[in-house]
Amino acid sequence: MKPRLLLSAILIGLGIVIAFVPENTTKPYKLTASQLLEEVQYGTEMVTPDELADWLINQDPSIQLIDIRTPNEFEQFHLDNAMNIPLSQLLDEEWIDVLDQGVMMNIFYSNGTTLSHEAWMITRQLGYENNYVLQGGLNYWTETILNPSAPVLTSPDDEIAKYAFRKGASQFFGGGGMTQAATSAKSKSSKPKIKRRKKKKAPDGGC
Amino acid sequence: MGPLVPQEIIGEGWNFFIAFVVGIGFGFVLEQAGFSSSRKLAGVFYGYDAVVLKVFFTAAVTGMLGLLYFSLFNWIDLNLVWVNPTFLWSAIIGGIIMGAGFIIGGFCPGTSVCAAAIGKIDAMVFLGGIFIGIFAFGEFYPLLKSLYMAEYLGQIKLSDVLGISQGALAFFVIVAALAMFWGAEFAEKKFPQEEY
Repeated sequence: MKPRLLLSAILIGLGIVIAFVPENTTKPYKLTASQLLEEVQYGTEMVTPDELADWLINQDPSIQLIDIRTPNEFEQFHLDNAMNIPLSQLLDEEWIDVLDQGVMMNIFYSNGTTLSHEAWMITRQLGYENNYVLQGGLNYWTETILNPSAPVLTSPDDEIAKYAFRKGASQFFGGGGMTQAATSAKSKSSKPKIKRRKKKKAPDGGC
Repeated sequence: MGPLVPQEIIGEGWNFFIAFVVGIGFGFVLEQAGFSSSRKLAGVFYGYDAVVLKVFFTAAVTGMLGLLYFSLFNWIDLNLVWVNPTFLWSAIIGGIIMGAGFIIGGFCPGTSVCAAAIGKIDAMVFLGGIFIGIFAFGEFYPLLKSLYMAEYLGQIKLSDVLGISQGALAFFVIVAALAMFWGAEFAEKKFPQEEY
């Protein structure tokens, strides 16, 4: 065969193969250390208890709570509608559809924030984008939402408003809050703010 | 794994070193392929010599297939490969100016450097013209800016515009390249040029 024909045949063959294989969408990519540092510094992964309470009260359908603690702890107490993915099972095949998707907003929580941050770090390194961490974990949730403590009377207005909201939320979640401020919870029905995270970009350069 | 520098597998400084080595290799191959001859270069417009078309499309097809297969094997993350952003008007107008310069001067910017390096005086003059053009563009930039920045389309790829997969586009580019090679050789026979 003439070399030209041979070359053309090889090229067309390679072209047909590449045309029919599915595009590679797996991400071998890991965040560089500096990108991760930037995200951690901005705290883009954090969700405050107040934000979470607001979304839960408004029954935001895109929220998925994920309990990172052991099944034992999960049985004893967990937030409503949370699912349990113990840290040790984080990389199991069965959870990949939950952790790596573009629809739901996953919020990791543990007692403090160590476990949930570890889980976030690992999933973020894998390039997953929809995972967040509940600031302060369950401990802080209990402290601020379930048993809010009243601010001093001289506090600025927004502190007082926050307290009123927390009292209402406390009622909603069945915590130890009092009854008086219950009505104010409904008045605060703002849309959940979805934090925009910085998109990974190709580095600048050119020809 | 790749690209190496954005993934910080090798340091940023290596960028320049690798660019230097690749640049020298590029110049060497251009000169070897006869690209320092302006008649050969202009031949593509008159039909008697299609080496420019062949070399550039071969390079494009090789690079394209290489990247797609590397991506398929997970050796490179194409999301991190720089795609030149498209400014439609400057691409069209720049293309016309470049094409006209190509016919008139007999070089494209890269090959003019190549030819100047082996001592061709016309290429040196051409290079001087390039710098005058750059200087003029820089001086008139405030006037030209709105045109230069017009119709910004972002970092689009042809496959996205046409709504087909990158692989399918690659296949069509290969077929088109082979068809052009065939057509170019036909033209070379049709419009022969005496030896130069």
